[in-house]
Amino acid sequence: MSAAAPAATDPVEPLDVDLVKRSQAGDTRAFDLLVTRYRSRIYAMTYHLIQNETEAWDLAQEAFIKAWRALPNFKLDAAFYTWLYRIAHNVTYDWLRKKKIQGDGEFDDERTEHRAMPGSRTAPQGFDAPDRAMKRQELGCRIQDAIARLSPDHRQAIVLREIEGLSYEEIAEMMKCSLGTVMSRLFYARKKLQEMLKDTYENPV
Amino acid sequence: MMNEEFRMTKEYPIPKSEVHPRKAWLRAWCFLILSSFLILNSSFCPAQQPAPVPAKKPATDGKVWGALVYATTDAAKLTGSSEKAPENQKDLFGRLGKVFMPYTHFEIIGQHVQDVFREYESWVVPSRDLFLKIDSKGPAPDGGMNLHLQVWREQQVLVKTDAVLHPGSPLFIGGPKWRDGQLLFVLDLAKK
Amino acid sequence: MKTPSDENHDLIRWLDGEMTADERRTFEATLQNDPELAAEAESMRQLSESLKTHLPAEMPVPHADFFNSQIQVRIAQMDLDEAREREKAAASTASWFSWLRMPWLAGAAAAAAAFAIAGLVWTQNSSSGTSTIASTYTPNPAVHAQVFHSSDAQATVLMLDGLEPVPAEKKIVGFRVHRAESDAELATTTLFDENGAVLAVVAMNAKGQPTLLQ
Repeated sequence: MSAAAPAATDPVEPLDVDLVKRSQAGDTRAFDLLVTRYRSRIYAMTYHLIQNETEAWDLAQEAFIKAWRALPNFKLDAAFYTWLYRIAHNVTYDWLRKKKIQGDGEFDDERTEHRAMPGSRTAPQGFDAPDRAMKRQELGCRIQDAIARLSPDHRQAIVLREIEGLSYEEIAEMMKCSLGTVMSRLFYARKKLQEMLKDTYENPV
Repeated sequence: MMNEEFRMTKEYPIPKSEVHPRKAWLRAWCFLILSSFLILNSSFCPAQQPAPVPAKKPATDGKVWGALVYATTDAAKLTGSSEKAPENQKDLFGRLGKVFMPYTHFEIIGQHVQDVFREYESWVVPSRDLFLKIDSKGPAPDGGMNLHLQVWREQQVLVKTDAVLHPGSPLFIGGPKWRDGQLLFVLDLAKK
Repeated sequence: MKTPSDENHDLIRWLDGEMTADERRTFEATLQNDPELAAEAESMRQLSESLKTHLPAEMPVPHADFFNSQIQVRIAQMDLDEAREREKAAASTASWFSWLRMPWLAGAAAAAAAFAIAGLVWTQNSSSGTSTIASTYTPNPAVHAQVFHSSDAQATVLMLDGLEPVPAEKKIVGFRVHRAESDAELATTTLFDENGAVLAVVAMNAKGQPTLLQ
């Protein structure tokens, strides 16, 4: 996956593998450095999947806490970030699934499509809401809005593919579904995004 | 001494149950050992008994060591204080360095060993500018002490906290910045 | 014969570079003969580009320092909880002390033994206790207190952020207090150095603030 941990090229920066070993020995300061190194990427992932800054913040934290607890079992046979990313994805996936069970079918694909009214805003407000409101006219924000209106399954497929650059097989493993389902989800997610952003492309900002 | 009183009053329930016969010899030995221990304590070592507490001396719940530390990245910026950490504060500066990055050089500006009074407030004043107030809230399990702690900067209280201190597990308090570095507190409960 | 689903899959596999070279050649030949499919493919390719451009792979975490410190606090809490569980488990396996339960060791002997064991348990545990901070309150709203345990430093840390710096020109006067005497009636504490000389007297003013008299 393209999201594999970057090897620390700066000689002053400790390598992931060293920080992981120190963390496994109980060094919380080393783990703190790993948190600092990857928090922006993990937070971006949870944010893209949840589209709520407060929840994404909590889930990113949860991911790091789970990683800390699971560290004794991490065999260093994969890059730390790949392993961490998987934990973060599972935490987020569980959260979405619980929300779906508790919810009212809000994320039902068909209904979501009908709810995708031009100008509608389903992305919840968060820490920087006033600032974001100002930027909302920009293409990036329109895309964010469109992503927010996808069903969680479609959103995950898109995020894993377009942002994290995972292969179909990796996505299938992560989402616990078949390759065919991955392809269908990617196809329909893109169709929906095309429809939602049609206006944007016809009348670019 | 608080420790003695705590031992006397703390209850360790002794459950009632039948004892395995094979452990009978162990019982007898332990009883003998305990008895000798008590006899030794009470008869042969009378000087070790705590002297009666004078009426004027207030009761205490333990002792704390408090220090004000200056942390900086540049050894040349240290104030030149000659205070040394007590021997039981092993590698204090190394441990401070692990918490208060990026500071690499530390010095003790002032220090204070203080009885923690049971009924009155106790002041830990390693400097006239920054000091601590402690109110004991009694012993905590496992040799700890419950206390209410306030950090004062002259006549301004910076923080109030409820804490449980254990000997050898100090509190490091990150205080205000000063000159090129930062002022820190260290507070440790002395072993009984 | 290909189903619509297969065609859709071909389209995205082409888009995502998941085709073999042969499949790719075949599909691109199809695109040349099917303007509608070609338009669809181009549109999806553009969308894909936009997504990659506008969805950041990294986003700054709001309140990043707090994010880290909270993780440290939670880890410290978990460590404490686990230590307590271990102590509980250890206590339950320490039942060989149960010989003390015997009826013949009653009265004063039992009390004395309990006292001795209490002392033993005390000594064993006093070295394993970890200091904790249960609550903090900073009267100045600009000041934030963060608590975490550093196992590296074997210390509990209380960070006070947002404090006014002490002016650089101010000289911080350190004391070496050897002992203190408290006068309950006057509510004062007198601090002595190792030679018995008075360093300062802490007294409370009418507002309940400490004043250092020298």
